[in-house]
Amino acid sequence: MRTPAARGVVLLAAMLALGGLLDARGLRKQAEIQPPGVQRDVALALTRPLLDVSSFLRLDRPRHALQVAIGRRDEDRVDTSVDFGPPPVRHTPRPAPQPVAHTPTPEPKPKPKPKARFTASHPLRIWVAGDSLAEVPGQALERAASGREPIRILRVESRLSTGLGRPDLYNWFVRIRQAIPALHPNVAVLSFGADDAHNYMSGVPKGRTIGKLGSPTWDAEYLRRVSGVTRELNRAGIYVVWLGLPIPRGRGFFYSFQKVNAVLREAAAEAPHAAYLSTWQLLSTKNGKYADYLRDGHGRLVQMRASDGVHYTQAAGDLIARTLLQRLGRVYTLGG
Amino acid sequence: MLFPTVTFAVFFLAVLPLSWLLMPRPRLWQPFMLTASFVFYAWWDWRFVFLLATSIAGNWLAGQGIASGRRPRLWLAGAVALDLGLLGYFKYAGFLVSSVENGLAALGIPASSSLLSVALPVGISFYTFMALSYVVDIHRGTLAPAPFLRFAVWLSFFPHLVAGPIVRGSELLPQLERPRDPRDVDVTRAFFLIVSGLFLKVVIANHLATHLVDDVFASPNSHSSLEVLAGVYGYAVEIFADFCGYTNIAIGIALLLGFRFPQNFDSPYAAVSLQDFWRRWHITLSRWLRDYLYIPLGGNRKGKLLTYRNLLLTMLLGGLWHGAAWTFVAWGGLHGAGLAVERLWRDLRRSEPRDTPWRRWLGRVVTFHVVCLGWIFFRAPSFGTARQVIVRLFDAWGQASPLVTSSVVLAIVAGIAIQYLPLGSVGALGRGFARLPLPAQAATLGICLALIQTLGPAGVAPFIYFRF
Repeated sequence: MRTPAARGVVLLAAMLALGGLLDARGLRKQAEIQPPGVQRDVALALTRPLLDVSSFLRLDRPRHALQVAIGRRDEDRVDTSVDFGPPPVRHTPRPAPQPVAHTPTPEPKPKPKPKARFTASHPLRIWVAGDSLAEVPGQALERAASGREPIRILRVESRLSTGLGRPDLYNWFVRIRQAIPALHPNVAVLSFGADDAHNYMSGVPKGRTIGKLGSPTWDAEYLRRVSGVTRELNRAGIYVVWLGLPIPRGRGFFYSFQKVNAVLREAAAEAPHAAYLSTWQLLSTKNGKYADYLRDGHGRLVQMRASDGVHYTQAAGDLIARTLLQRLGRVYTLGG
Repeated sequence: MLFPTVTFAVFFLAVLPLSWLLMPRPRLWQPFMLTASFVFYAWWDWRFVFLLATSIAGNWLAGQGIASGRRPRLWLAGAVALDLGLLGYFKYAGFLVSSVENGLAALGIPASSSLLSVALPVGISFYTFMALSYVVDIHRGTLAPAPFLRFAVWLSFFPHLVAGPIVRGSELLPQLERPRDPRDVDVTRAFFLIVSGLFLKVVIANHLATHLVDDVFASPNSHSSLEVLAGVYGYAVEIFADFCGYTNIAIGIALLLGFRFPQNFDSPYAAVSLQDFWRRWHITLSRWLRDYLYIPLGGNRKGKLLTYRNLLLTMLLGGLWHGAAWTFVAWGGLHGAGLAVERLWRDLRRSEPRDTPWRRWLGRVVTFHVVCLGWIFFRAPSFGTARQVIVRLFDAWGQASPLVTSSVVLAIVAGIAIQYLPLGSVGALGRGFARLPLPAQAATLGICLALIQTLGPAGVAPFIYFRF
């Protein structure tokens, strides 16, 4: 049926306006979770009155009712809390009462203990979590574990565009606290940082500000989060493996990924039961350069990186999984 | 800029009224639309704009050269070399070099190359095929060369720029020649296509990808046979919903701007044979392959054996067009071989078999499952994974299948059922919508939009065909 173009313009505007009113809480969340900048300011300025009108007219209710019905009640909630247990307090023989230190102090590495043994009936339980870069290595671990009886991959939880810097997008601190009693992992393989490698962090404690990525304040806050997560997992007896960020194509992320890796490496070094696996090194050429294609163990050229120059291909995932299992083989006795 | 995002909604809300305001003045409208399309493309990566500009300038110049009559073959060869060169460099360089080197290594000839690492520009396969069709059509004398701005708008027109449909010069350039009539816009169909496209992409495709398909294809051996079977059916529905959804939105947006694009899908899983499937799936690509590859190769004019060869070759190259990997070649090969076998079967029969409902359903079931077999190679990241998927279909029955939830089954059934919707029902729905007063239409569309946003998984997954 033919109609004037003006009707199309009016319908489009009306559709977006009504859809926006009905979906105001979702749009508000999208605005809130954007990094600071003009786009966020504009989005917040537009969604504030939209949400007010939607709430006044109770047009936000149908969305909430539908979310409750499909089990996604909390989807529109923005949780920026960065909670983990307090930093450890060093207990030294006290000649006199001392004030509790407020800055985290590294726990000394424990003396080597006999390696824990895992068998087919008592497999090593591995939980893989992180941003989009966690997915491919996690899936590779699943493939590798499907032929190895003493290893069980509990779950691969990969959430796009999330990280420890942005609890407003997805609160990993809450998820990690939930996962510990729910999954009972022995090992947590964590891949974070690619989406944290910028100047902004949400959930920064009140009264504190952070500078640009790589500044001392940024490093300190990010280290506080990475160390906090590591400590919380260690406290539950879980060994933590931090997967570093891979060498990226081009200069876009070259500096920022290195900065994030430095923090991850430091946090792993400080913790009693943690390791850092450098995918940067693993996926570089002999000259330390980026390449889409690298030689595998048989000398064949294999594509290791996705077309975006950051993400892994399955072959890279397999390489990371193999290296990781070798590393875990040094920490635990697997089989036998 | 992805279609189902707030950014695109704001962009289009600004472009649509401006486009109609400027439409009566082509000298203003053409630069405006070219700018809008370049902004749309630059949103991904501004550097790729230069590549698009190079393709526009090179192909337009070649078109002029061919039409001038002076060394037209040379101009054509130059344009083809430019187009295939850009495509080859950005899409296939690593694949070709590594394949050659690994092949030589298998023969005991060591080779060491320095491989290039280049980013794949979004949509390059689509606009390259459009550009090729333009210069070939001018050379064949079926298309007149277009003025520069009109040509540039045609090649970069944002509704089709990144994932088609592949719109030929003969289809869109005449529409760009004269201002569109603002009193004659198929608004009802446009909104039906946009809303149905959003539903297919955001609700069906994203749900299946997130909750079933990605897990199954990542690690087939960790899943039961039932999950793997659901994963294969799920991917068949996901890729249809993803690509048909995108195309529906693209066609709807073009319609609102006053332009008609060719149809790209026609209930492909209701096809009774592979030949029928390719008349219904990615129709604009099938036509392109037929007219610029199969027929120039000789089509069915040079005997039966060469016809089979041409079918196989066309589909092998069609497979490679989708991606720089041998799994895509295998997918194309499977379809090519299937088409050749169907042709052979038809050639061997003395008379056409009777068309009965039973025979049609058998054809549908067999065709759908051959297509699903092909999708395994298309989706799997390697032959190893494809083999695991196929083996796992048989050896893990009776295990727990937590991924096969009621919502996943509903999405698969819905995705297949819509292929069998009677044509009349869609038309009746459109007529019913068109009769509604404006406020009721707006309310219906607004509610649909909010429903889609609420039901879809959080976040916006990119369209599958963006990477081709």
